[in-house]
Order: sequence, then C-alpha cells, then structure tokens
Amino acid sequence: MKKGIKKSIWVFGDYRNYYQNRVTLQLISKAVDLAKTINAEVCALIFGHEIDEWIMEYTAHGADRILAIDDHALKSYSTERYLAIIEALAKERDPEIILIGATDFGREFAPRLAKRLHTGLSADCVGLNIAEDGLLLQLAPSFGGNMLAEIVTERHRPQMATVRPGTFKEIPHNYERNALVERLSLMKNLPKPRVRLIEYERSVEKEHTIENATVIVCGGRGMGNKEKFKKLQELAKLLGGDVGATRPVVYAGWADHGALVGQAGKHIKPKILFSFGISGAIQHTAGLGEADFIVAINKNPQAMMMKMADVAITADASDVLNNLIKELKKRIRE
Amino acid sequence: MQLNPCAKHKLIRDSVRHFAETELAPIAAEIDRNAIFPVEVIGKMKALNYFGLQVPKEFGGAVLDSVSASIVVEEISRVCAAIGLCVTVHNGVAVYPFLQFATPEQKKHYLPKLASGEFIGAFSLTEANAGSDSASVETTAVKKNKEYVLNGTKIFVTNGGVCDLALIFALTGSEPGRPQSSVFIVESNYAGFLRGEVEDLCGMRANPVSSLFLEDCCVPEKNLLGKIGDGMKIGLATLDNGRIGVAAQALGIAQGAFEAAVKYAKERQQFKKPIASLQTIQNYIADMATEIAAARLLLYRACSLKDEAVPFGCEAAMAKLYCSTVASKVTSLAVQIHGGYGYSKEYDVERYFRDAKVTEIYEGTSEIQRLVIARSVLSKLIL
Amino acid sequence: MVTELPWDEKTGTLRRDLAAGMMNPACKHALEAALQIKEKLSAKITAITMGPPAAEEVLREALAMGADRGILVCDKLLAGSDTYATSLVLKETIKKECPDFDLILCGAYTSDSETAQVGPQLAEELDLPAAAYVEKLDISGRTLRVRRMVDNFRETLEMEFPALVTVSMENYKPRYAQLAGLENAFCGQETIVLEAQSLGIKASSMEQKGSRTKVRKVFLKKAQKENVLIQGTASLVVAEFLDKYQRKIGTAIGKSIEEKRLDEKGH
Repeated sequence: MKKGIKKSIWVFGDYRNYYQNRVTLQLISKAVDLAKTINAEVCALIFGHEIDEWIMEYTAHGADRILAIDDHALKSYSTERYLAIIEALAKERDPEIILIGATDFGREFAPRLAKRLHTGLSADCVGLNIAEDGLLLQLAPSFGGNMLAEIVTERHRPQMATVRPGTFKEIPHNYERNALVERLSLMKNLPKPRVRLIEYERSVEKEHTIENATVIVCGGRGMGNKEKFKKLQELAKLLGGDVGATRPVVYAGWADHGALVGQAGKHIKPKILFSFGISGAIQHTAGLGEADFIVAINKNPQAMMMKMADVAITADASDVLNNLIKELKKRIRE
Repeated sequence: MQLNPCAKHKLIRDSVRHFAETELAPIAAEIDRNAIFPVEVIGKMKALNYFGLQVPKEFGGAVLDSVSASIVVEEISRVCAAIGLCVTVHNGVAVYPFLQFATPEQKKHYLPKLASGEFIGAFSLTEANAGSDSASVETTAVKKNKEYVLNGTKIFVTNGGVCDLALIFALTGSEPGRPQSSVFIVESNYAGFLRGEVEDLCGMRANPVSSLFLEDCCVPEKNLLGKIGDGMKIGLATLDNGRIGVAAQALGIAQGAFEAAVKYAKERQQFKKPIASLQTIQNYIADMATEIAAARLLLYRACSLKDEAVPFGCEAAMAKLYCSTVASKVTSLAVQIHGGYGYSKEYDVERYFRDAKVTEIYEGTSEIQRLVIARSVLSKLIL
Repeated sequence: MVTELPWDEKTGTLRRDLAAGMMNPACKHALEAALQIKEKLSAKITAITMGPPAAEEVLREALAMGADRGILVCDKLLAGSDTYATSLVLKETIKKECPDFDLILCGAYTSDSETAQVGPQLAEELDLPAAAYVEKLDISGRTLRVRRMVDNFRETLEMEFPALVTVSMENYKPRYAQLAGLENAFCGQETIVLEAQSLGIKASSMEQKGSRTKVRKVFLKKAQKENVLIQGTASLVVAEFLDKYQRKIGTAIGKSIEEKRLDEKGH
C-alpha cells in the first residue's frame, strides 16, 4: 500500500437481476458509509457487455469510481473469467475491502475469489462496521439467524464479505453525481472457462420468492390434511405473500421442498408470519429468528410455537384460516 | 436416557427413529382411529429389511444382533405401537421358528419371501378354549395320502388380516392325558384357509388382528415344521423369543409416553409455573425414568443371553413381565400428567395408554410369565 | 468419486439437537446424488468428514447408505478452522487418499454456519471446474451436465471431469438406510482416521496457511415477544384479531383492511 494513495472499497456489480435485487446499490451505499471512517474511495466493478446503463446507475447511487470492462466475451456471467479479472486487478490495485451481494451467484463466486486472493471471507452478513482498530467488523448469522457472530480478517487483504440483500438501504439516485469511470480492456490470455453455459432462461416462476416475502403464511401438520393445507395459498395470495411449510408437511407431500421453512430450509425475514397448526419443533423455529411479527394459531395453547408468537390464537387452525379469508375478502381494498 | 451399548446401536436407533417420525408419526393417530393397516408405509419398511431383522444374509436378511433388533422394534413402537407389533410378531414368532426348526429346503423356499416381506407371517396358537392353556388346542391335523387336512379355528391372530403365511398349531394325535401337537406352515392361498373379520380392539387398532378358519385345509406334508409331536417344543421356544420382541415393544410405548409427559410437564403452566416444578410431578417423572431404565437393562440382558446361545427363557420372561408392567404404569401416569388433555384424542397419550395394556396379555400373560420365572427359579440347584 | 461432509467442530454440540442423526441435511442430498450415480454407472464413493472422533458416525451412516469408503480427518490442531482452512485440509486429504477422483460432491451448505463456502473453496484449492446449487446431474463419458436454478435463472452447464458440485436440497431426496446396510457398515475396515501429521500439516502450517477469519464475539439474538393470547370460536377470534391488528397488517401489505364503515352518505 503506497502511502498517500487512498484505500479502496470494491463493490462487485451483480447487475443480472437489477430490478428485482438491489443488493449492489445497497452495498455501494454501505461502502460509502464505511469509506468515510477509513478514508477510502468506493469503487464499483462492472464486467459485462453493453454495460453503460449499470455504469450510470452505480454512479448515480454513490460510487466514486467505476472499473468497467465491456466485452462481448462477458455477455453472460462467468465465474472463471471474473476470478481471473479480479485477481489481476487486485494484484495491481490492492483493495482494502471487497463486498459482494449474497445472491446465489455471489455466494458461489466470493469463496472462490477469497481463496484465489488468499484471504478471509464471511458469508451472508447482516451488518458491517469498522472496529476501533480499523478492521472491517462482519456480522454473520448462524443457526438460522438465532446466533450472530462478529468476524474479522486480521492480517490478510482484501477483507471480504458477502452481504445479505435487503440489509442496507440504497442511497437515492442522483444523476448529478459523477464518478471516475475507467474503461479497461479485457485481459489477454485469460484462461478458457472450463464450465460451459449450455442454456439459460429467466425462470417463469414468480419473481418474488419466499426469501424476500413480506408476509409468509406457514402451515404444519395441525392443518389436518392436504386439501386444508392448500387453502393457505388463498390467504397468502390475499396478503401478497408466500406459503411456507414444515418438514413433516413437505415429506407428507402437502407442499414442495421449495416451501420448506426452518433449518436447512429457506431464509425468511417476513414482516408478518402466520403460523397455522405448527407445534414448533426446533428444526422449524430455528429458522424464524428474523420474522418481525408472528401470529400463531394452534388448538394447543402449550405448543412451543404459541409461546414464541406475538399473538397466540387458541382455536382450530383450519377454521381460523377459513374465517380469516372470508373476513379479509370483505375488507381488502387498495 | 438412552442406553446404546455401542455406536452401531446408536446409528440404528437414529435411523429407525428418523424413519418412524417421518413416515409413521403423521399417520399414527388416523390409522388407530380408523383401524387402517398402512400398506404403503409397510411397503417402505419391507425395502429397508424390517421384515428380515435376524435372517441370515444368504436369504436377504439384515443379520442384526438381538439388541439391534430390539432397538428397531422399540423405535417403531415409540411412534406407532400397532406397526411395531406387526414387525415384532413377524420377526419374533413367525420367522424365528423357521430359523430354528425348518429343513434346508423349507428355509430356502420361505425365508427369502419372509425376509423381504413378500410374505407377512403370523403365529397361530391361541384358540377360544386355549389361551394360557395352550396345550388344549382343538384344531386337528389328519394325515391323508401326502397331505395333512387341518380343521379348526384360531383366534386373536396378530397380522391375521394380511398374513400370507401362518404357522398353525394342530393336534396330530393323543395318548390319554398327553395331547400331541405339531406345527404346520400354511399359506393363505391354500384352499380352506379363511380369514375372519378384523377384531375391533381397544388398542393396536392399526394391526389387523383376526381369526383364522381352517376348513378341510389341505397342507402338503413337506410343510410340517419340525417333526410330528414337536408342537409344544416349537411353541415354547418360539414364545421365549417372542417375549423379547414384546418387551421391546412395551419399552418403546413406555418411552414414547414418557417423553410426551416430560415435554408437556415443561410447557404446561398452572399456578404461574410449569407443572414440572411441582414435586409430585417430579416424583412421577423420577419413577418413570428409573423404571424405564431398569426395563431396558432387563431386555438387553435377555438379548445378550440369546445371542450367546445360552438358555434365556427365564430372563426373557422377566423382561416381558417387567417391560409390560412398566408400560402400563408409565402410560397411565402420562395421561395423568396431561390432565384433561390426556384423556382427549387430540393428544397421543391416550392411544399409548390403550396400546400398552395388551402387552401384559399377549404372548403369555403376566401371570404365565410369573409361572415361567418361578419354575425356573425353583428348578435351579444353584440360584 | 468423493462426497465431502463438512463439519464445524466449534458448533458440534449444538448441531446435535437440530439434525436427525449427525449428517448435515444438505450433505445427505449430496450423498443421495452420488448413490444414484453409482447405481447407474458403477462408481466408488469415498465419504470424507473433518471433525471430532464422534464424527465417525457420519461416515458409518454414509457406508450404510452405500458409500464404499470413509475417511475421518481428526486432529486437535484443526479445531475451530474456518472454511479457508477446512478446504485446505480436505484438499490434502483428497490428494493423499483419492487423487484419481472424477467428481466431488458437497452439500450446498451446512445447517449451522451456513456459509456455503467449503465447496467452492475446495474447488479452488484443487483447481477444478465447479458449479454450486446443482439440482440435477447427468454424466456422459467424462462430461458432466448439470441443471440448476440460481438468482431466478434456470441454467444448464457442462464441464469435464475432474469437477466439483455442491448439491442443493431441491432434488435428490435422501433415501433411508437399509438395516442390512447399517449392520454391514460396522464390519470391515472401510473407515480410516487421519491425523494432521499424516497429511503433512503441522501447527506452523496452520498458522501460515490456515484460517483467515476470526470470530471475535458471538451472541444470541434475543426476542422479547409480548405474547398476546386470544381464544374462542374461530369467527370470534378472527374478529378480535383483526380488530387489534388490522392497521399493522394493512401497513405490511400496502393495502387497507379496515372494516368498512358507512359514512353519512351511506357508502
């Protein structure tokens, strides 16, 4: 690190789902915040083809500098190419911190990059700060969000973290902002990727997923049977939310694996969680640490789920579901 | 709380428990309420060697030691006693006589079918007039050319409603005061083999217990198990073995009820604290825990002796007597601890309470077990 | 073929409560994928895990399901390793014990630390083409074709052996262990235990090449819930619930669900 040259916080531009997932903008915002404390500049990395739109967006949302490579060869995401590119750039420019959104891509790409750069990485962080000794303090969850660990990379650089989408707020866009845009050419002699993309298509499944659902309607065995369980979908639809399921229900064939909530299921952080007919085995409740407001409905007032809830309704889950749907249909207006 | 003599036993216990909780737990209440034999889940169990627990490898069995086999029965019964019953009766008293008394041809023909579950087995000794007094069977088997013709009625046959094969105890002759009985391998598709209605029982309702009617049922002579007159010998040896299985079943029922009671006691609040903090409840819990632990040790002791190929009849009787007594006591206390909710079918404990009772009755009532134990003690020169 | 089962020794005791048996659920899916490959193509499966002595149970379970060999890497020196160190140790193990592997399968993540990092980092250590969150594998000769769903894109990828995949939990539902398999898993010599030394790893190498991250503090998230109780018939509880919380729900869903009231004009 040459003295006098500002430190650099890099944010990887994961632009693929730009309109659904604003994580890169959120990271730029946080990077700007961290940069103030450690006197650094925020640099967004964009590797792709026809990327001017993203250059504009990232500039408007707070980046000081853009490192851009625009090349036909980068038309689709390529882990291997990105590894080679960033390895070369990092050797040259010695970034202090690299932040990557914890999208599926980011969670696969970042660990390989960390290994390539011989440095530490924490995953799916829900908080970032600068510690008193100047290190990046990474707050990473474990056990379904019930435990948080403060992690640092003491001696190695860059310090790396993947960050959970939705953790930070993006800076509102301001097209008056300017950034230093470096348009680099694609390195020559990049290794040919060994993983070939044969085909890809944007999935026709619903774009919003249970992971970023605001309202989740979960059901357990207490729903009684598959038909009654399926009715949860109606309530979810009314509330613009998603249906979640416990493991026994998935194994009984009442719901797909994709609806599994809990340990080894999906990470959920709803504002409101309805829990119908769920007793509250630890395998399920361990995944509920981040629900803001829990409403549990169960015939058994002693069930663990009822103890964990903000509101515990003692009644038959299926009956309450039917009544609730009926009432909401009467009341909902835009 | 669990005694796992070794790492293998722990892994077997974990695996069977995982299966039972995933496949049987969601349906246990319903199949009890409606007396349904869950054919699909039974099919899954067949594929996992649950019907060939101690059958040799050459016939497709799992070759488990007796403690492992008991653990399998325990863990199934902990979730669904009626299905645990199906497995233990098939393995313990239908398959076992083949292992001990069958000819090489009979083993070759029947063991692969039994071990794979293609044939579900039943053991038919009991009759209307021959319960504890098993020597008083009245079913007859008369030799005619190369066949035996069987006539009679067997009652309370576990697995009766679905069995493909039944071991029938029949009179094949009598000297005054010395009835002579023999055992026959009867396949359910033989002419003259009829099943009665499935019994409407207090517990074990998912098991199709029924009568079997033999009306001039012709059985090939090669289906005689052992020799003519071996009936009592085979019967007593088989029941010794069956006792271990029933003890394991009772232990599983006790364990399941016990766990439910402890969980409930921790959650249920009265007088502003969990009832588990009350000394009376703690006394109950202490007694249950201790008796279950003791029952388990008695069971595993009988298993060890059996695997060492030394006489184990007395120890098996002790295990069966004690495990079934403990099961009845623990399940009754479990209902008590649940209070009013324990009496409701919303909770599982009342099913455990109903299931437990019969473990004191079948495969030798507790009274018969005491007889066996007393005779063993009194006949020994050195105690 | 190698199925790798990561184990975080730090959190070993807590995890026991959460899993049925000790094997991490995602790893079970990876093992199931390996078993299905073995059924179609005749392959040899080696299961590897790094952890305390008790972790051997995981290997026995893998053997019971159909793996051919199990390796436990166990050494106090390795305690508290982060994924950086773990992937290094696993690389050394693989190079020593099964250097001619074709495919490495890992669970997509563990249910404790959930980093999902070991797989990709191991691929990097061994310089392998890799794909994470794979739902379906198809093998033809030395070509591996995988299907996966990442970030709302349905992708089909292809690569040549040797390669590494992490298996998601969407597919490859784990089979139950046969009792015969469980019995056989404890006979014979198919598991070995390796210490750090036999891999050429010393305390000094762990210092230099081991963990890069350090946990400074761990704390439990506390949730102070008000726990309001409502009971009664279904229609009464729904009325009471909506009465109390209609505004809260309305805000969350961006629509008003307040009860319609007739205004003066009777609307």
